[in-house]
Amino acid sequence: MRNLVDLSLPVEPIAPHHLIGTLGDIFLQERHERLLSLPIVNEGRPVGVISRHNMQKIFMSRYGREIQGKKPVETIMNPAPLLVSVDQSMEEASHFVTRNIAFPITEDFILIKDGQYHGIGSVIDLLRGMEERMAEQNVSLSNALSLLKASQSQIIQSEKMASLGQMVAGVAHEINTPLGYVKNNLEMASEAFKLLRDIGVAHNALLSALQTGEASDEEVHQRLSELEARNAGFQAVYPEDEMDALFKDTLYGLEQISEIVVNLKNFSRLDQAAVDNVNINQCIDSALLIARNVIKHKAEVERNYGSLPTVRCAPSQINQVILNLLTNAAHAIDRPDGRIVIRTQADERYVHIVLTDNGKGIPPEVIKKIFDPFFTTKPVGQGTGLGLSIAFKIVQDHKGLIRVKSKPGLGSAFCVSLPRST
Amino acid sequence: MLPADRPTILFVDDEERILRSLRMLFAASYRVLMTTNGHEALEILRKERVHVLVSDQRMPIMTGVELLRQAREYSPPSMRLLLTGYSDMEAIIGSINEGEIFRYINKPWNAEDFRRTVGEAMEIAIKLWNPAPVEAPPPAPDEILEILLLDDSPEVAVAIRALLDENFLGAYHLDWATSQAEAMTILERGKVSIIVSETRVDGEDVTPFLKTLKHFHAQIVTIVLTSFSDTSLLTDLINQGQIHRFLPKPMRKTLTVRSIRSGIDRHREIVQRPQLSLRHRVEPPRATVNHSMISRIRGIFHRVSI
Repeated sequence: MRNLVDLSLPVEPIAPHHLIGTLGDIFLQERHERLLSLPIVNEGRPVGVISRHNMQKIFMSRYGREIQGKKPVETIMNPAPLLVSVDQSMEEASHFVTRNIAFPITEDFILIKDGQYHGIGSVIDLLRGMEERMAEQNVSLSNALSLLKASQSQIIQSEKMASLGQMVAGVAHEINTPLGYVKNNLEMASEAFKLLRDIGVAHNALLSALQTGEASDEEVHQRLSELEARNAGFQAVYPEDEMDALFKDTLYGLEQISEIVVNLKNFSRLDQAAVDNVNINQCIDSALLIARNVIKHKAEVERNYGSLPTVRCAPSQINQVILNLLTNAAHAIDRPDGRIVIRTQADERYVHIVLTDNGKGIPPEVIKKIFDPFFTTKPVGQGTGLGLSIAFKIVQDHKGLIRVKSKPGLGSAFCVSLPRST
Repeated sequence: MLPADRPTILFVDDEERILRSLRMLFAASYRVLMTTNGHEALEILRKERVHVLVSDQRMPIMTGVELLRQAREYSPPSMRLLLTGYSDMEAIIGSINEGEIFRYINKPWNAEDFRRTVGEAMEIAIKLWNPAPVEAPPPAPDEILEILLLDDSPEVAVAIRALLDENFLGAYHLDWATSQAEAMTILERGKVSIIVSETRVDGEDVTPFLKTLKHFHAQIVTIVLTSFSDTSLLTDLINQGQIHRFLPKPMRKTLTVRSIRSGIDRHREIVQRPQLSLRHRVEPPRATVNHSMISRIRGIFHRVSI
């Protein structure tokens, strides 16, 4: 990148007492061809400029050269030339020069360093320099833009991963609880089965003793009491009603786990079409199941579904929006009687999802910003501030609307409206 | 035997099926009490002799950490265990710093291992139930607290030293080790009361060292001050390392001072009543230090004999 000092033309300056008559020859020298003016310098300090334009005025007027020729140049020079320090930036210099130069442009500007004459700068060179500079900046700006775009999509991706991670952790807990008792029950059942097998062995021993008829009464009696003892021992550790409950619980737990797995599949819709005609009520149900772990201890959920026409949408994205609104609602609730109400209805054009909570609400100064990317009221590390901005983008991509209303202390309502399938 | 004298275990979980399953697992061995409600659990602890308390973490009315924290006041001699299916960092740290738990157990658990762990806790609780009323003698005025810092960051050393100067005046002696080997030398030289340690020092995972140290010298209280946090590392530090406190970096002054203070109390308690070290018995560490290190750690000389 060029700097101001690179623009400096090393022109030999003229002394103030130089006679006007001989200046013409200097102007006509080939090396000064591009110059509009010559610098006048006294003891290293620039004191003025003399322009070709002014010289022309003198030389072209009748007897001009004869009358003025013997005078020193300081009598006709511009004593207030434009002085630009070479330490300035190109931008500062160009700003200064374009503001102060007289039109039409008849002079160059003088470059100084520490107040001393350094060289001549031409306006056209300065403009060219600026143009180059702008072009360079354009390149770096567009580089920055593409970097920004890349990192934005990366951030959106990481937000997705973060919420996915949260979801997976929640679901893992949901699964670990039934898995806990199912595994324990099964381990106990297998221990019980060993005892039962022993009872079976004792039972067979008694049976064969009785069948063969060779055993003594004493022996039969002994085998009988052994069987009774084992039976009683088994009953004590594994009472019948508890065993029944154990098997019932185990099956229940397995059903829970398979329900969670089915629901995960529904929610992610990995094995289904990306865009489909779907019933929004089902999307809400599946998001609710995924969010259950977050909502469970926070709020009662009331579902108030209208009968809905289908919506053509990317269901996995809409699920993400609903999940985001649900978890936000749960996070906003800090009272024991938390409530989340979900209402759906349709009009001629849209399907509306209205999600109301009785959480702490959103202050007016915050509500303007909630859809802005990176805006978050959560402590550092707990929220990316992207959830709602992504929700906004998804709804926008579906040509839908997302609106919010809130009263601090009373709660918030979010309405998502999606165009119905045509 | 009166019911109150029978070895008693209390399970707290919001899922009744878990409670039923656990009752069946332990009914043959102990008196099993259970509840889904933390307040009720505290009420039971207040009224009855509960040797072992096993709590879930995520529960609607009261979290497990909150229950365990209060249980420390309601029934100090009860052994506390957390049984959870959800490993979030905050809960694990809470279970160390507030719950002071004996074991952290993940759901689903292994029935046999769990029986063994509970059995161990039960045995310790019964053995220590009636504390001989030891009047804690005031610390000797000239008692110098020996603190070992194991961390390779000079900034941390400076900060800890400043903190100690400010809060413990001259009544401490700080040794700073920047490697496990250096720490070992210092431990062999003097009687260290508290070790404040990172988990990785000088490129080396020092947690096996900390665990082995705890195994042989329960009176040396471990405070982990680290920038690494990972749930399984932490649960191992509970079960195999019985660390006293876990402090995430950047260091928070008041928390660190409070942790050192309670560490001093813990250290004195065990020195005065060595049996109490049973309460901090560790599981055999999975990853261990080499044999020569084990024998060196085992051989650390202590003027306070245990």
